[in-house]
Amino acid sequence: MTNEEIRRKLNGVFQQVFDAPELEVGDATTAEDVPGWDSLAHVNLVVAVEKAFSVRFTTKEVKGLANVGDMIRLIERRAK
Amino acid sequence: MLKPDRSELDYLALLKKAKQPPPPGGKRLKLALLGDVSTQHLVPVLRALFASNGVEAEVYEAGFDTVEVEALDPASGLYSFGPDVVVILQSIGKLRSSYYESAGDRSAFARTRAGEIEEVWKAIRKRSGASIVQSNFVVPYERPFGNYGLQVPDTLHGAVIELNREIAGRARENAGVLVNDVDYLAAWFGRRHFIDEKLWALSKSLCALELLPEVAQNVVDIALAAQGRAVKCVVLDLDNTLWGGVVGDDGLEGIELGESDETGVFRSFQFYLRELGRRGILLAVCSKNDESLARRVFREHPGMVLREEDVAAFVANWEDKATNIRRIREKLNIGLDAMVFLDDNPFERNLVRQMVPEVIVPELPEDPGLYVRAISEMNLFEVASHSALDGQRASLYRDQEKRDEERSRFETLDDYLKSLETTARVARFDPKDLPRIAQLLQRSNQFNLTTRRHSEAECEAMMRDETGYFPFSVTVRDRFGDFGLINVVILRRMDSVMEVDTFVMSCRVLQRGVEQLAMNKVFEEARRSGCKRVVGRYIPTAKNGMVKDFYERFGFRREDAPEGEGVSFTLGLDEYRPREVHIREVAALAERDST
Repeated sequence: MTNEEIRRKLNGVFQQVFDAPELEVGDATTAEDVPGWDSLAHVNLVVAVEKAFSVRFTTKEVKGLANVGDMIRLIERRAK
Repeated sequence: MLKPDRSELDYLALLKKAKQPPPPGGKRLKLALLGDVSTQHLVPVLRALFASNGVEAEVYEAGFDTVEVEALDPASGLYSFGPDVVVILQSIGKLRSSYYESAGDRSAFARTRAGEIEEVWKAIRKRSGASIVQSNFVVPYERPFGNYGLQVPDTLHGAVIELNREIAGRARENAGVLVNDVDYLAAWFGRRHFIDEKLWALSKSLCALELLPEVAQNVVDIALAAQGRAVKCVVLDLDNTLWGGVVGDDGLEGIELGESDETGVFRSFQFYLRELGRRGILLAVCSKNDESLARRVFREHPGMVLREEDVAAFVANWEDKATNIRRIREKLNIGLDAMVFLDDNPFERNLVRQMVPEVIVPELPEDPGLYVRAISEMNLFEVASHSALDGQRASLYRDQEKRDEERSRFETLDDYLKSLETTARVARFDPKDLPRIAQLLQRSNQFNLTTRRHSEAECEAMMRDETGYFPFSVTVRDRFGDFGLINVVILRRMDSVMEVDTFVMSCRVLQRGVEQLAMNKVFEEARRSGCKRVVGRYIPTAKNGMVKDFYERFGFRREDAPEGEGVSFTLGLDEYRPREVHIREVAALAERDST
């Protein structure tokens, strides 16, 4: 899966989880930029991303995510 | 209405649904969530699932791990919220630490922990009439001894199994406590899918997010059962449902059943249905068949498990099944929404869904060997109480048929009523009657003046309050059989007025004089307490139209400026004329063989 494909798919997951069809996220997007991205939604997001990409993150990895770019790199590393 | 499938239990879809406005005109239910797990993820899912059942849930979320504090502090948010249902969710997470950290002898661990849980129930029940829905614990996967662990006294695995047994046992002893069998769910879906260590670490979630809707659905099922929702009747097709083949074509000897059924599936299915019957679900037959031939199978086929006496209503003819289901409903006097229809034929299922949408019509798999599995998966028969009399229900309807035959022999109703030799026990609420009393209050819809669903604990409190409340029940029998406890009246004294808080009767005993007997009692009780008049109330619902003139029939006058819900009626003690009844009152009904 190319970086571009990951980005497109991940954006779809964000739209679904936050129930926001117009939402566009990029590398620098953080929780503060997306309405409703609180700790509760973060768990929903992680579970949805894992399911969409058929990957499993470790607890530590999930806790270390600072922005969407981190998440993309993590997916790239796991989805080999 | 009860959902016959679980296809909507998708976590993200439910989150979306929870944002929609609640169903208009839905019932409201106040639900408190206590737990040593986080409940935030559960709340929207619960709201959405209650909404699917036409219920608007108002949810109180206690702080994380504050179960004991909320329960023991009379000033806690729990009590000011005033819940109808308290849901307690506890997980293996905290239990595990306390097990491993307890030093020395751990043999009493499960009993001690169960005792603490029971204390919480008692504290809540002391201060609230709410039903309590207590989760049990998911048996953990770690096995330091491997399989041999089952033979070792001191393991976490063993302690949790024992704890679950203790919780079930103590729930039996504590009125108003219902067990949420989370361990069953974990076993059904697989512990390896249910338990999610990462989610526990991140957010103290009870289980994997995708299975949270299953836990929520279980809570909804139990809470609604506690509020009185129950399936009362299963309507059964015959050919290719109870046996293989078509009896009209294949003949009595040609159908697949018992020895002629190599797979044995139809007998297994019938065993399951018979258990439902014993647990108090009425079984009815609705079949396109020649009635005498269909009945012959029940009477003569050696492979039949179900007999004619297990069937409360037997309809076999060539009319459409929607009409016949309505006929069965009339005969059994229950709501259409309390009926489940089982038929192997998709055409018949769809017809009934279209024509009688209130009836629950589960999709059945093509393989009859999977019927029991499919039905079990839907958890259609959730119930919040059980009494020994439940299993005799089908026989009550058969006794009624005998009475109806007898009745045609008498010229006047009085002669007939006298001939029945009815006896009744009228008694103040009694601890041993409380489960049945609460059940009647939860389930009766038609002959129910105020539809106040007092819980068992509330009934118990009224029983104890000997100056404020005069609650009594009536248990009836005649020469054809027992009716059991079929009438409950709760009187509340307010100075010189005796108020009828609740008047509920089973429709099985209409026009027998029981309500007259009970009303005589109401006035006797009012007189004994020095009251001057009796006040009653009728609160209309979709189902209780049959009692709208109840008080007027006894000579009550409508009050001009009624306060509160519904219409209120009043009658002075001196104005009441005791009614003549053909019922002999006895102090106790002797044990006798069931008819």
